[in-house]
Amino acid sequence: MSWIPNLFRRRALYNDLAEEMRLHLEERTEQLMRGGMSRMEAEQAARRAFGNRTVLEERSREVWQWSTLESIGADVRYALRQLSNSPGFSMTVILSLTLGLGANTTIFTFVNALLLRPPAIADAGHLVEVMERNAKASGIEAFMPLSYPGYVDLRDHNRTLSDFAAFDGDPHPVSWSHGGEGEMVHGQLVSNNFFSVLGLEPALGRFFQPDQDKNGRGAPSVVISYPFWQRQLGGDRSAVGRALVLNGATYTVIGVAPRSFTGVIIGTTHDFWAPLAATPTLIREPHLMGSDTSFWLFGLGRLKPGVSQNEAQADLTVLARSAHSSDPKAAVMDASAFPVQLVPAPFRGYVVAFTSLLMAAVGLVLLIACANAANLVLARSTARRRELAVRSALGASRFRIVRQAITESLMLSMMGGAGGLMLAYWSVPLLLNLKPATIPVSIEAPFDWRVFAFVFAVSLLSGIAFGVVPALGSTRRDLLPALKDQRLLASPRRSRLRGSIVVAQITVCLVLLISAGLCVRSLVNARSIDPGFSTHNIAVTQLDPGSLGYTESQDRQFYQQLLQRVRALPGVSSASLSDYLPLGTSRSMSEVKIDGVNPPPGQDMIRVQFAAVAPNFFSTMGIPVLNGRDFVPQDVDPGATAVIINQAMATHYWPGRNPIGQHFEDDKKNVEIVGVVKTGKYRSLSEDPLDFMYRPLGSQSQEFLVVRCGANEETTMSEIRRVIQTLDPNVVPMEMESISQYMALPLFAAHTTGLLLAVFGAVALLLATIGLSGVVSYSVSQRANEIGVRMALGADRLHVVRLILKQGMLLTGIGIALGLALSFAATRVLAGLLYGIKPVDPLTFAAVSLFLGAVAFISCYVPARHAASIDPMKSLRAE
Amino acid sequence: MTNSNPRDLFPGALEMMILESLRRQPAHGYALVQHIQQRSNNLLQVEEGSLYPALQRLLKARLVKAEWGVSSTNRRVRTYQITPAGMRHLEKEISSFERMLAGIALVLDPDKSTAN
Repeated sequence: MSWIPNLFRRRALYNDLAEEMRLHLEERTEQLMRGGMSRMEAEQAARRAFGNRTVLEERSREVWQWSTLESIGADVRYALRQLSNSPGFSMTVILSLTLGLGANTTIFTFVNALLLRPPAIADAGHLVEVMERNAKASGIEAFMPLSYPGYVDLRDHNRTLSDFAAFDGDPHPVSWSHGGEGEMVHGQLVSNNFFSVLGLEPALGRFFQPDQDKNGRGAPSVVISYPFWQRQLGGDRSAVGRALVLNGATYTVIGVAPRSFTGVIIGTTHDFWAPLAATPTLIREPHLMGSDTSFWLFGLGRLKPGVSQNEAQADLTVLARSAHSSDPKAAVMDASAFPVQLVPAPFRGYVVAFTSLLMAAVGLVLLIACANAANLVLARSTARRRELAVRSALGASRFRIVRQAITESLMLSMMGGAGGLMLAYWSVPLLLNLKPATIPVSIEAPFDWRVFAFVFAVSLLSGIAFGVVPALGSTRRDLLPALKDQRLLASPRRSRLRGSIVVAQITVCLVLLISAGLCVRSLVNARSIDPGFSTHNIAVTQLDPGSLGYTESQDRQFYQQLLQRVRALPGVSSASLSDYLPLGTSRSMSEVKIDGVNPPPGQDMIRVQFAAVAPNFFSTMGIPVLNGRDFVPQDVDPGATAVIINQAMATHYWPGRNPIGQHFEDDKKNVEIVGVVKTGKYRSLSEDPLDFMYRPLGSQSQEFLVVRCGANEETTMSEIRRVIQTLDPNVVPMEMESISQYMALPLFAAHTTGLLLAVFGAVALLLATIGLSGVVSYSVSQRANEIGVRMALGADRLHVVRLILKQGMLLTGIGIALGLALSFAATRVLAGLLYGIKPVDPLTFAAVSLFLGAVAFISCYVPARHAASIDPMKSLRAE
Repeated sequence: MTNSNPRDLFPGALEMMILESLRRQPAHGYALVQHIQQRSNNLLQVEEGSLYPALQRLLKARLVKAEWGVSSTNRRVRTYQITPAGMRHLEKEISSFERMLAGIALVLDPDKSTAN
């Protein structure tokens, strides 16, 4: 067809047509005038004979149009013109939507990053991850990794997997010695078939050979990650074959993993992968591979063709049960197979709970933003009555007018969506930076097609939501009064609609503000929790000279010299060592036997968490010794029996007695309590007092160094680094940080939730305020006549202010009442996140309601004052 | 309302009449209206303007072509001319129209079935 040139010729065609019609009318007029009519009569008669010129012209044009698409184009152009004619209205709506959609996009980007995005593995649908699951337990506690013998058993006897690999879930910090210095890198231990099960091809070199760990020939090898190859090895092709000294042993680089491969599980970054056979040398745990009571491996299987995940799970469960059946005391362990996802199935529940809470919050913000937009569009459509009436009179169909109105709303919402995307582009990195730098976890939150699709869909839905109702309403009316520019009082139906939108906004806003208030107060509470140790003026780091092949006596000498030199540093008042830091992730439990105390029901032993600490640990950490004494160097001598317990353990097992000098059996060894220290927080800030026991720290290779220093922790930390450097440049201090940086981790969840909800609450408040004051201002402008009459009849200004305030505050009151009712139900969801505050906290509820009421009052008072300044004469004359 | 749409009565009738007029001689819009009204003895009260959408349809289908010029009365006019394709189209339309008319006539008045 010939419509393509038409597109360009069309303007000429339309001009021809208009000109032709004009000439036609002219000719007819002249002819009629020749017949004796006056010019005016003739012109009218000609027009009557011709018919509705506008409609005819439009119908003529339609012939040339690529109709639907083109009229949409016209609608869009018209909408743009309309919107740029009232920039104040457009900007308010777009900004409202930008805030609402931006908040949603930001949170969705994280939902996508954690839950929706597939791992960068081809064919992930045929892979399963395998863990063991305690059928009796629930939640994450039920899941347990595999032991190495357990893995081998499943690998060799299953009938549903074509190949079965294993990997260590935790990244291991490893010291890489090069150029006379040490650098900390992270490695992951994997079975030799790990890469082939994943179906990956190396970017360079090759992957591990299947039979490698059986014969153990040749130098141990590693595969390095693409970023490590690029950054640390300069992206040189000769990197393959190069030797790396990792934790004192030499490994040959045999290959580079593909660029896209960032790991199977989110958040873990690996610089290299080493075969499981390297476990004894790399992480110096010689017993790990042979132990069937150490559970540390994730299984990764490739399903045989035609086998489903459930069939694999059933097959593996039979094997897992038979492996445990010889041990009657063991819990019933099933195998659990789940899809390979960035956040594996056992952990998804927590991520889903957390992100859906945030999605709900931003959903409410968007609701308020849409209500704002709806209200503004409604107000404007009333103001545009005349324009719409003119268009109807000229022959525009109702459908066409509704479509035009919806086009306008969609334009607004799409611009809001674009704004929201920009907002998210800026806020997502900001949120990623909230994560303390010291947490060795990296999360990518890419803007992929899912994010764009989400923004588009949500913008579209919002545009329809706030556009349709006012658009339909605006066409249902008599044209005549509007054409005559009669200023009708706003119809009660429409003002009721606008009123209920504002009530809904205030309701939702209150729910959000109360939730935010609760989270902020919970954060304040969490911050003020006494963790039982000092949270400032302490520097901590972890050292592991043993990884460089130090013998026990070398270790002891290293730490002795280190402590000596660090204590001599300016500003350092004390320094000590331990194998544990409170609120850390590791946990050691000991079985103890105390005379006259029975173990808790269902257990055959009393289990107590313990740590090993050197002398001066308590004074350095600021943990008060309440009774007895601190450890002394002699406590590690052979035959010494000293232990120190916390207050909670003392009152638990020796109530009303002096615990000092009491004996009990710790790990089958008779020990004596020499001191009691204050109870602190050990696993989480919100835990109840926990029994805890300290043993004296003997010689160990991997230890925490804790240093009490002056206010300038940064200087002390660089001094400590220098001291370590002079002792041995290959020893890498791992995660050196101040104690306040260290505390960022336990506070992270509370911190993030509190911050986000506070921001969302503030946005909601801003939007609701705009909405309320907009509605009140609008009703002032609509009631200008009425107010003028009232004032002319003797009403004073105060009366007018009260009149307007009454309307606004009534809406606010209803909104707050509904919001309180809804909050009682809604805040229960938060219970698990709150610390030291109940979900229904009367103080928060009351304070937030009063606050919202006050803000609403102010946003009504401004237009009310304006109403009171109306000059009755002017407003009456305008009638 | 006198807004009778010719397409409502008989789709294509106006186009056929325009083509028939143009086959006799090229004309501009106003002259076409005059011609159709005169020829039909004013039985067909065509709204003058409704000619133009029909002309646009014919232009688009390349059944007529248009050219700006000056008329014998020295007016600036846009003169339409039938194209060969228009001729063929008209022949086809007329024959199918006549068949239809004959059919209708038969139904309405079977006695005069030999009229054609």
